[in-house]
Amino acid sequence: MHETSVAQRMVDTAIEVADQNGGARVVAMRLLLGEMTCVEPDTLSFAFGVVSRGTRVEGCTLDIVHVPTRLRCRTCGAERGGDMLEACACGTPGGEVLAGRELRLLTIDIDEEVALPAGDQG
Amino acid sequence: MSREIEVARDVLQDNTDNAEANRQRFRREGVYVVNLMSGPGAGKTTLLERTAEALGKRVRMAVITGDIATRRDADRISRHGVPAVQINTGGGCHIEAHQIAHAADNLAAGNLDLLIIENVGNLVCPAEFDLGENDKVMMLSCTEGHDKPGKYPLMFKESRALILNKMDLQPHTNFDVEAALADARALNPTIDVIKMSAWKGEGLQAWFDWLLARMAAARHA
Repeated sequence: MHETSVAQRMVDTAIEVADQNGGARVVAMRLLLGEMTCVEPDTLSFAFGVVSRGTRVEGCTLDIVHVPTRLRCRTCGAERGGDMLEACACGTPGGEVLAGRELRLLTIDIDEEVALPAGDQG
Repeated sequence: MSREIEVARDVLQDNTDNAEANRQRFRREGVYVVNLMSGPGAGKTTLLERTAEALGKRVRMAVITGDIATRRDADRISRHGVPAVQINTGGGCHIEAHQIAHAADNLAAGNLDLLIIENVGNLVCPAEFDLGENDKVMMLSCTEGHDKPGKYPLMFKESRALILNKMDLQPHTNFDVEAALADARALNPTIDVIKMSAWKGEGLQAWFDWLLARMAAARHA
């Protein structure tokens, strides 16, 4: 599924940012992942391991920060968590999405001192 | 020693940027663009064949169709006298905005009034990838089950219209129209609903009217 194309973009972005900051290797990465996105965390972690292999991101720790869905009711304006189909206390389902759509790279940790792996492609 | 660098970038930002470039280009060229999405086998290609037959001589239209393999869909549509470009995504489960830019170049999109993108049949992935379209349209066939809007909420939430297809088969299934629409409207209160059987040719006029009205509204926006 599209977790692979998401993982590829994460690796590309990490290498680009590491280059701009004089880092040899990317050793950790923190990602915001909203509950409503169509991205499955375990599949993403697996895909990330595969696409980072042989690059300067190989072996990087991936920290996925889960963002729960947050909705604002269209009728009464109350905020709530949970599923869009579960109605607000006022009886209205759905609502404006305040949080839960995130797919955002927050930070990377770079390390200048770790030797590059042989055959580095990145 | 490692040090932390702030990135603060949306992972799909490149696709969002490409989609915005497409959107500006389509607006400049005066072409109205629909991104038609559904699960595999819901009837998108049949609907586009009917649409090409009915509207192909009245408006300058073209189709970009995405599949993992083969150019069968493009061949089916171009038989009706409408230019069709096939995108083969390899293993890809969705179309991305840069692929639309290349396909639009091949179609000389500046000479068109209407461009319909038939996305890869998939209820999950296409929802995350903006293509620069004016409207997303979701098709659900009643043989897929009425629980799908609730189970795959994002695509229904993002769409301007919902087409319920294969309505001729509904009496032979347990598809509950009201249950499907209740979930779809909970996700998306203003979604337009069009019921049809594309294969039997029933309910198509409402779809043609909807398309022409949206095209006209886009032109005057």
